[in-house]
Amino acid sequence: MDEVLQSVRRFLPELVLTGGLLLVVLVDATRARWRDGVNRFLTAASLLAALVLCGRLYGWSGELFSGMLVLDPMAVFFKVLLVAASLLVIVLFTFDNSRELHGLGQGEFYALMLAVTISNMLLATANDLAMLYLALEMVSITSYVMVAYMKGDRMSNEASLKYILFGAASTGGMLFGLSLLYGMTGTTSLPAIRDFLATGVGEQNRLAVYLFALLIFAGFGFKTAVVPFHFWCPDVYQGAPTPVTAFLSVAPKAAGFAIMLRFFYGSLATSATGPWDLAGTIDWPHILVLISVVTMTVGNVAALTQTNMKRLLAYSSIAHAGFIMMGVVALSENGARGMMIYLLVYLFMNLGAFLVVTLIHNQDRTFDLRDYPGLYRRAPFLTAAMAVFLFSLMGIPPLIGFMGKFYVFAAIIERGPVFYWYAVVAALNAAVAAFYYARILKTMIMDAGNEDRPAFALPALDQIAVMALVAANVLPLLWWSQVEGWARKSLALYTP
Amino acid sequence: MIGIQHYLFVSASLFCLGFLGILTRRNAVNVLMGIELVLNSANINLVAFSRFGPGNLQGQLFAVFVIVIAAAEVAVALAIVLTLYRLRRTPNLDEADILRG
Repeated sequence: MDEVLQSVRRFLPELVLTGGLLLVVLVDATRARWRDGVNRFLTAASLLAALVLCGRLYGWSGELFSGMLVLDPMAVFFKVLLVAASLLVIVLFTFDNSRELHGLGQGEFYALMLAVTISNMLLATANDLAMLYLALEMVSITSYVMVAYMKGDRMSNEASLKYILFGAASTGGMLFGLSLLYGMTGTTSLPAIRDFLATGVGEQNRLAVYLFALLIFAGFGFKTAVVPFHFWCPDVYQGAPTPVTAFLSVAPKAAGFAIMLRFFYGSLATSATGPWDLAGTIDWPHILVLISVVTMTVGNVAALTQTNMKRLLAYSSIAHAGFIMMGVVALSENGARGMMIYLLVYLFMNLGAFLVVTLIHNQDRTFDLRDYPGLYRRAPFLTAAMAVFLFSLMGIPPLIGFMGKFYVFAAIIERGPVFYWYAVVAALNAAVAAFYYARILKTMIMDAGNEDRPAFALPALDQIAVMALVAANVLPLLWWSQVEGWARKSLALYTP
Repeated sequence: MIGIQHYLFVSASLFCLGFLGILTRRNAVNVLMGIELVLNSANINLVAFSRFGPGNLQGQLFAVFVIVIAAAEVAVALAIVLTLYRLRRTPNLDEADILRG
């Protein structure tokens, strides 16, 4: 009993979000005219409260609820990141100005948003195979509903159908792998699995562990959208409402990478050599390098020919998943730090790009790049902001996107000459990515067209939102030592 | 005497049959049945390993959670398939093809 009470005290952010979720559902049931505004406020307030409570969790690490969850500095980092992602999406994207969501019920959206935030946090801190699977499915099932949010829209429906069938199949494969891993090790707890594997696996079982981990990787790969589990990604990103797309491209992806890190380091590493060195039984980096290289190449090459902005950003997010995986491949402390910083900066640059795309859709009702010419003249402010976000996504130095790339590349090069070719391929990929990001800017600034359309009339709140994101893409560099210090402080994984 | 191999054989067959169904069926409801087979094959594994393995109940506990998740997932999936039917008058997956490229 005492253990449960202790755990509850360290579980406050999730509890606050659960309370907020229940309140939102209750308020929505009143059917009063003011309910939408109140719900938006309640959602933002509970997310903000959770953010503050997360910050107070530093300085303690251990297991919660008899080893179901774990709390360590890295878990806190990801909790902060995930709550901040939800908060940004709630604050930046409005229903009233949106052409896609206008007139739809808002209460359900906020309730789903809070639910998916809680499950993201559980996923990032899972310490048991059952908890891992439960949290992953909870994230997925809520995302399916959010993608299908535009009920009468055929694209939204098709996107969520493809999402749920693909998701159910890959998590089914993952579950089969989890059950076999349980059969082999006799336990579902990640630290106990690590202890079992650390005592040495027989030669005949080595291949089996490898196979199980590959099956389990299907689930992680689906959540983070890496090749060959990326097929849902372009369709879902195109069909889903844009705020949902923006959210899916940052938060569940970050949670997926968090649990990937926790699984590969936490359960497959040996305790003798510390949490950052994998058991020598399996040669992990090679398979992960292959996945990462193919992911970034497929994403970038496919993005070259896209004309729908949401689809283009979907392929770009697949490519970024490949870059983020460089941090997992490095299998070192610096690699993990690179991954965490990349996920943090990706939040601001990608949400910015999606916000601009949404604002253009609100005005012009189009996601098509071919309708973008002349925007420089009609909306100079939005074009300039888009330039900042795209340069940041490219990884151009004065912006935070550069820092993300810098740390993962440094972590790879640090691993020695074996990985030099990998760094070169990644650099070439960054060049390809720069080409299609620059093509968007060229269309907006240099191409002629749409002379007859009126100038943009942006609501003041949207202008402030865009400006805040531009600032978030530039200003952190001034205090970079603090940001880096935060990531470094968060590098501790809990090991019993 | 029925041992763990028999259970594993059944679950592996179910897993393969389920995936075959997911990959080959055109009707969305049939694909969902395939997904159920995959989830239940894992359940058989979990319960069998729990019975013949280390003697702890973690596997059976896991299986109970999986049953609940499977029900929730299929409820959402069926709602989406119903919407598909309402919008296009067909449960056929081949005809959901506006998103491509």
